[in-house]
Amino acid sequence: MSDPGKMSANERLRHDRLTFYKEDIERIDRLLAEFLRLSGAKCALLIDKEGHLVTRRGEVRTIDMDTISALVAGSFAATKEMARLLGENEFTALYHQGTRDNIQLSLVGDRTLLTILFDDRTTVGMVRLYANETARKLSEIYGEANSRTTPDPQLDRDYGNSARRKLENLFD
Amino acid sequence: MVQINFALKEVNCKIVFYGPGMSGKTTNLEIVHQKAPEENKGELTSISTDGDRTLFFDFMPLDLGNVAGMRTKFQLYTVPGQVYYNSTRKLVLQGVDGVIFVADSDAEKLQENIESYENLIENLAEYGKDIRELPHVIQYNKRDHPNAMPVDELDRTLNRFGVPTFEAVAVTGEGVFPTLKVLAGMVLESIDRMDNRRSSASRPAPRAEARAQAAPRAEAPAQSAPAAAPAAGGKRGQAPARPAGSPARRPVAPRGQAGPRPVAQRPSPSRVASSAARRRGGAAHADADQTRGTRTGGGRGVFVAVLSTLFLAAAVAGVVFFVMQNQQG
Ligand SMILES: Nc1nc2c(ncn2[C@@H]2O[C@H](COP(=O)(O)OP(=O)(O)OP(=O)(O)O)[C@@H](O)[C@H]2O)c(=O)[nH]1
Ligand SMILES: [Mg+2]
Repeated sequence: MSDPGKMSANERLRHDRLTFYKEDIERIDRLLAEFLRLSGAKCALLIDKEGHLVTRRGEVRTIDMDTISALVAGSFAATKEMARLLGENEFTALYHQGTRDNIQLSLVGDRTLLTILFDDRTTVGMVRLYANETARKLSEIYGEANSRTTPDPQLDRDYGNSARRKLENLFD
Repeated sequence: MVQINFALKEVNCKIVFYGPGMSGKTTNLEIVHQKAPEENKGELTSISTDGDRTLFFDFMPLDLGNVAGMRTKFQLYTVPGQVYYNSTRKLVLQGVDGVIFVADSDAEKLQENIESYENLIENLAEYGKDIRELPHVIQYNKRDHPNAMPVDELDRTLNRFGVPTFEAVAVTGEGVFPTLKVLAGMVLESIDRMDNRRSSASRPAPRAEARAQAAPRAEAPAQSAPAAAPAAGGKRGQAPARPAGSPARRPVAPRGQAGPRPVAQRPSPSRVASSAARRRGGAAHADADQTRGTRTGGGRGVFVAVLSTLFLAAAVAGVVFFVMQNQQG
């Protein structure tokens, strides 16, 4: 990790928060849709390491996305810690097998997790094959997004005040 | 780390309840879950042991709704407070945007409070974070305890950075929302500030300087708090009434706690994890108990740590499936 002490304000911001822009997400969505078509998986979720959903494609029905995302991130974090204790650099992929549904997780870049839900309409081999390729392309998109120099869009000026009002109401 | 998603039009932040074992972190979250309006809250998921001790975390999303065009959500987590679970506690802290430190007012727990706060500082430091730059507040919980320390004494020993403090009796819900509200406000404020800093910062604002300034009273808490934050600590004995329809007390559970302390029944309407995590949780707990005390002892400690982490991963996987099968089937 880079040293936060030596950063410019803009770098610091990129370090402190994870921002996703519309045009990047649109590219990512297309990529995930293509992945689902090729691999036969049901659903692909992109989740950041803090457990927040970035975007998703495919059939998900009523699964609570926030909960799944938090659990996936927790699961990955635990596994990563295990790898560290074992002297492995990192397990970059993780596979959970269920009776009906399976989950495959892969690390993309250093901040996001590609999470794939699939059932017996396809195989883990197929899923892995296309997941690797998708992860590589996603890394490229992140790389381009990071090196872009155009100024980032900002939150609305009224964001702070508006948020305070909402908080007041919520906790009445 | 705050996630700002201009495609989904979402802002996501992570808030963690931290503190020593049994201080009431899970209880705080349960109250939030019970009382938050239906449309604002998601499910409460707990990865805990048989005895209801938190093993990995409790989790609940809280949705603030549309804020200036962005759907703003807080992901609320609790950590396991027991000393033994530091490796998992640290994992939960990853990417945190704000911390509520839940201290136990019981005079006998003073040392545990101090150590847990120290532990928070250390674990943050491992992620390169300075506690003085992180929005955080302290909640003195269990004010109903017969042996509760006076607040000013607690303040002197625990509140090293002069952050906002709150008195609470989490089992009755008292003090829970005031605490969360102020912390949430501080987190939102820090997002706002980050944006402003950037817009006025085409010059390379040197970080070192900002750090030094932040020294003793980092977050300027009073100003960032939406309500009357500074006064909050003084609201002693306010609203002590048991909430209507509050659950009956259950007999003191075998949680290794002595004394006739009021123990609120866990409302477990949607503890998705309970069955999945419990089944495995019991085993892990036993394991943990047997190996307690050896964890710092070199190779064996590492082995134990690997085992318990392995177990956790399995437990989490179990929970993921439980949720999926439950909701899909
Ligand atoms: N008397 C009293 N008991 C409380 C209060 N808040 C919580 N408790 C009780 O304290 C016990 C522990 O509460 P938890 O919320 O499980 O504690 P925790 O901090 O999550 O504990 P760990 O998960 O082990 O870290 C439970 O029996 C609660 O009912 C309080 O304000 N007063
Ligand atoms: Mg707990």
